[in-house]
Amino acid sequence: MSAEIPVIELRNVDKHYGPLHVLQHINLSVGKGEVLVLIGPSGSGKSTLCRTINRLETIDSGEILIEGQPLPQEGKELAQMRAEIGMVFQSFNLFAHKTILDNVTLGPREVLKMPKDAAEKEAMELLTRVGVDAQAHKVPAQLSGGQQQRVAIARSLAMHPKAMLFDEPTSALDPEMINEVLDVMVELAREGMTMVVVTHEMNFARRVSNRVVFMADGQIVEEGTPSEFFDNPQTARAKEFLDSIRGH
Amino acid sequence: MGYAELFAAYGEKYLLAIFETLSMTVLCFAIAMVISVLVTVMRVSPIKPLRLVGDLYVQVFRNIPGVALLVIVAYALPYLKVLMPWKVCVEVVVVLLASAFGSENFMTGINAIGVGQIEAARSIGLTFTQTMTKIVIPQALRSAVLPMTNLLIATMLTTALGSQVPLNPQELTGLVSFITTRETAIGILPFTVSAVIYAGFSVLLGLAGNAIDRKVRVIR
Ligand SMILES: Nc1ncnc2c1ncn2[C@@H]1O[C@H](COP(=O)(O)OP(=O)(O)O)[C@@H](O)[C@H]1O
Ligand SMILES: [Mg+2]
Repeated sequence: MSAEIPVIELRNVDKHYGPLHVLQHINLSVGKGEVLVLIGPSGSGKSTLCRTINRLETIDSGEILIEGQPLPQEGKELAQMRAEIGMVFQSFNLFAHKTILDNVTLGPREVLKMPKDAAEKEAMELLTRVGVDAQAHKVPAQLSGGQQQRVAIARSLAMHPKAMLFDEPTSALDPEMINEVLDVMVELAREGMTMVVVTHEMNFARRVSNRVVFMADGQIVEEGTPSEFFDNPQTARAKEFLDSIRGH
Repeated sequence: MGYAELFAAYGEKYLLAIFETLSMTVLCFAIAMVISVLVTVMRVSPIKPLRLVGDLYVQVFRNIPGVALLVIVAYALPYLKVLMPWKVCVEVVVVLLASAFGSENFMTGINAIGVGQIEAARSIGLTFTQTMTKIVIPQALRSAVLPMTNLLIATMLTTALGSQVPLNPQELTGLVSFITTRETAIGILPFTVSAVIYAGFSVLLGLAGNAIDRKVRVIR
């Protein structure tokens, strides 16, 4: 893995929101097939980091490389590049006026210019894989949160992304629906998908992630394997944070 | 003079006036819808000068009384060598007003969509134009059905500005002025007839709008 070009690489990335230095000299690389869990207190910049990787937010300085290529500036080229990185949001963000099937086929048809039949065939396969094929002709509001999030994952997968970003994918879900979404993500990880996952689900992190990165106040404070990080955190910030989410 | 005499003398003119009011309404509303979409796209575009022009357009035409705008278009523009037929002057004014309000309706619809869906669209690789045409505009159109129905009714009522300039044939309000000038003893009868016709069409349009809304409404 070390000799390969990382799928995602951030070099000295800085970003401000006005006076707030929200990302401070971030250096991070994610190798092919790696599952990286990003963890940290609310407001530490985890979402912003994900959003800059997909260029939903600009950066002030530094570089972001996807398979060694810098992100293009604006326009069509950037739009294409975005499709190479899938993104799953906390609030699902399905297209409310489209059926589940159309949510999944929109990208392949509009961006990859796939013919309708082929796009629908593949979309049905993906929906079957995430277990919502029976809902294909409903609209998002008719589905449960867990089902909607699984559709959102299928929608990203339909673009054959090189990596996927998950920004707190289970935080908006009722407890009984969390596992159905995590199961899909575990499956994806097993199949070798490169993933960056913002989550506080420690069991998930222990089961599938190679590395945990702890962020606080816009900085990467600590990183390690899940067992290193959860069982033996090095910094006071990380200890404090782990205590708080364990409810001590 | 009662209804019977009124219709005997002016029935044909009333029919012509109904046609005139309705055809102006349909034409103006259709053009206004196209302009509203364009102005709204400008207002949400990533290009700042376009946003400013779009916002300015709406602020100007939403805040000028129709009659004042008509005076400008019909009586001031000719000094700048812009000379249009009377009817076109009225239509231009109605379109300017309706498109400003139409854009506001679309903006409300767009704000209801939420930034999340737009980000999701961008994240699967859609360009700005594709995000607009596939996600934003279709939803804005669907959630704008009811306010646009109201705007269509308002557009019909605004064509009454035609009574302020010489039109031939006249629309419904112009016809009322014409009749009351000629039949000095007639009282409010011609007004009542026009008012009932306006109200009748308003109710029909309202019912149609409700029916369409029920069919296309985006469930959230
Ligand atoms: N669009 C924005 N404008 C200004 N400040 C923002 C914006 N988005 C996020 N922030 C701020 O940046 C900080 C990091 O936010 P975020 O990346 O969402 O943190 P996290 O996902 O770790 O909770 C927070 O203090 C937040 O208030
Ligand atoms: Mg966040």
